[in-house]
Amino acid sequence: MRIVIAEDAAVIRAGLAEVLGDRGHEVAAAVGDAEALKAAVAEHEPDVAIVDVRMPPDHTDEGLRAAIAIRRDHPGTGILVFSQYVETRYAADLLAARSGGVGYLLKDRVANVGEFVDAIARVAAGGTAFDPEVVSGMLNATRHASTLAALTARERDVLALMAEGRSNSAIADRLVVSERAVEKHISNIFSKLGLPPSDSDHRRVLAVLAYLGS
Amino acid sequence: MSIASGRDAAFMRDNHTMTGRPGSWLRRILRAPFTRRTWAELAYAIVSFPLAVGALVFTVPTLVNGPLWAASAPGVRKLGAAHRSLARTLLGEDVPPPPPLRPYPVVHVRTPDADRLVAQAEAKGAKVARNGNQVRIIGLPVSWVAELTTEERIAIHSLRPENKLGWYRGAIRDRHTWLARSYFALKLPVAVFQLVVAAGFLLAGLFYLTYPIWQELAKAGPGLGTGNPVPLAASFLFVPLGAFLLLAAPWLAHGVNELDLVLMRGLLGPGSPGSPGSPDSTVLTERVRDLEVTRAHAVDDSAARLRSIERDLHDGAQAQLVALAMKLGLAKEKLDHKEKLGDTAAPPDLTRVAQLVDDAHRSAIEAIAELRTLARGIHPSVLDNGLTDALTTLAARSVVPVELVSDIPERPSAAIETIAYFSAAELLANVAKHSGARRATLEAVHVPGLLRIRVTDDGHGGTSPVPGGGLRGLAERVRTVDGRLDIDSPAGGPTAVTVELPSHA
Repeated sequence: MRIVIAEDAAVIRAGLAEVLGDRGHEVAAAVGDAEALKAAVAEHEPDVAIVDVRMPPDHTDEGLRAAIAIRRDHPGTGILVFSQYVETRYAADLLAARSGGVGYLLKDRVANVGEFVDAIARVAAGGTAFDPEVVSGMLNATRHASTLAALTARERDVLALMAEGRSNSAIADRLVVSERAVEKHISNIFSKLGLPPSDSDHRRVLAVLAYLGS
Repeated sequence: MSIASGRDAAFMRDNHTMTGRPGSWLRRILRAPFTRRTWAELAYAIVSFPLAVGALVFTVPTLVNGPLWAASAPGVRKLGAAHRSLARTLLGEDVPPPPPLRPYPVVHVRTPDADRLVAQAEAKGAKVARNGNQVRIIGLPVSWVAELTTEERIAIHSLRPENKLGWYRGAIRDRHTWLARSYFALKLPVAVFQLVVAAGFLLAGLFYLTYPIWQELAKAGPGLGTGNPVPLAASFLFVPLGAFLLLAAPWLAHGVNELDLVLMRGLLGPGSPGSPGSPDSTVLTERVRDLEVTRAHAVDDSAARLRSIERDLHDGAQAQLVALAMKLGLAKEKLDHKEKLGDTAAPPDLTRVAQLVDDAHRSAIEAIAELRTLARGIHPSVLDNGLTDALTTLAARSVVPVELVSDIPERPSAAIETIAYFSAAELLANVAKHSGARRATLEAVHVPGLLRIRVTDDGHGGTSPVPGGGLRGLAERVRTVDGRLDIDSPAGGPTAVTVELPSHA
């Protein structure tokens, strides 16, 4: 994969480049602010951009705004937002523009290098990768409470894993059930949400979106 | 039980006074002309007349124009004081003085950003005059203007109260001086009445009381003739009239004097604290405004501190730990790799793993150092042992050699100690960064009620609080606990910055 990193903390930027380089990925650019990120993406058209939310000059949400701009201007580039905080609004903002090729991970996740690199690969391939904490934060938001009430606890678990971007077999592994059982749960979720039968991937995204509050 | 008996006692007391009242009233009426109080009231009525005339004679010509209003204000206030002291001496009525004359706030500001300052000051209801980069603001206290420039980030080159004009405007507008003038105007008819009642009733009373004597004298000597002699028996009819006038004089004089006192309390006193615009309420309003401003600073300051702590954590220790986790994760994976694939796999690159662990180790040490610095910035633990210990540590850490003079027999409150410590830290940091000083002195003296921190250095001087600068921030922080910051820093040095704090926040 060709990757652009935008992260203002030099120590993390260097660490990310090292980890990804170690896995044989090409780090096309590693920059420290949002403007440089947009320029680097325009120049390199990477498969995925790893974007820190808070960057100079104001250290608020420059990275996120740049990420939304990149999603609009460079549909081919996946965005993995990388933050030290769970901000469900950020995830919702990201999903509002487009449903796939997007992820939001806490920086802690990088400690598990394997999963982290898998998440990047999912986003690069047009999937999603949401941090379990981000997902549970969004599912707990009150505005979802009424719709959420219709789902069973197990269905909610399945939905959360779907939102993280897991495939049916990964979900089955995680929950220690058969893939068949997962499919059944998913179809229950679709019907409880009133999603019309169509292309299953599309419905999958809609189900996630319905809950992530796009 | 006790309530019932108390009630009984009160009832009995009431009963007693009620039965005793008619007798005591009669005694009071008959004795009134001979009490000290009566003579004092009469004396007041008579003496205050020339004073009232004098006050009006002084006041009327000064009503012509503004400069005369201002010039006469101290005199008017002195005459008011004379009235109050007469009332105090003769009537025992202590009317407190009004607050002293105060300059009306006039502030002179030199700023490159005059347009914005003018707009902001006008928005606050001030009168503003502008000449180039000089702005004169009338009606906003200096501290408000200083706040305004800080909040709006308006650069200022100088900011000072314009005292001469301020005193002039203050004297012209002073509410109490105008109240005193109106008292003088109202007092004259009252004084005439007082004189008539006191002198007239007294003299007429004496005259009629002794009317038969005058009549007989008139009959004896034609020079004293009234022209229409009254028989002796008839002349005795006037004696009760004289007695009545003499008995009535004290009460009437008292009544008129009471009216005078009502006027005096209302017009020459400080006014009631509740009435809007009265001096006490002005003082209170100013205090409330001051507290509002300083509280806003305290809130902003603590919010800013929390923000900066969060930033320091986010950019420092948190980032270090993320990097550390990343490196250890990578190292772990390289070692795991061997376990998963068994001995058949290529052996892990141990040099690489060792390097990753080494990097992680370094990150961990850096994170610990960051956290230690940060923790000290939040609350230096040495402060728990008292300010002297903390300041000793601070002085020892300074780049510029610092001599510490500390006299703190009793500990101030914890909040004050903390502010004092950070003030000293900020001032010493300034010395090291900006002054070019070779040595500095840090004094900390605590006398009951006041903690004073003073940092002096032999640097090049010329220090002044710039908006957004450390000294300005320090001054604001100090003000939140009613403390103050004083800077004495002539160009060429030496510089002495003094922070005064109350013992208890």
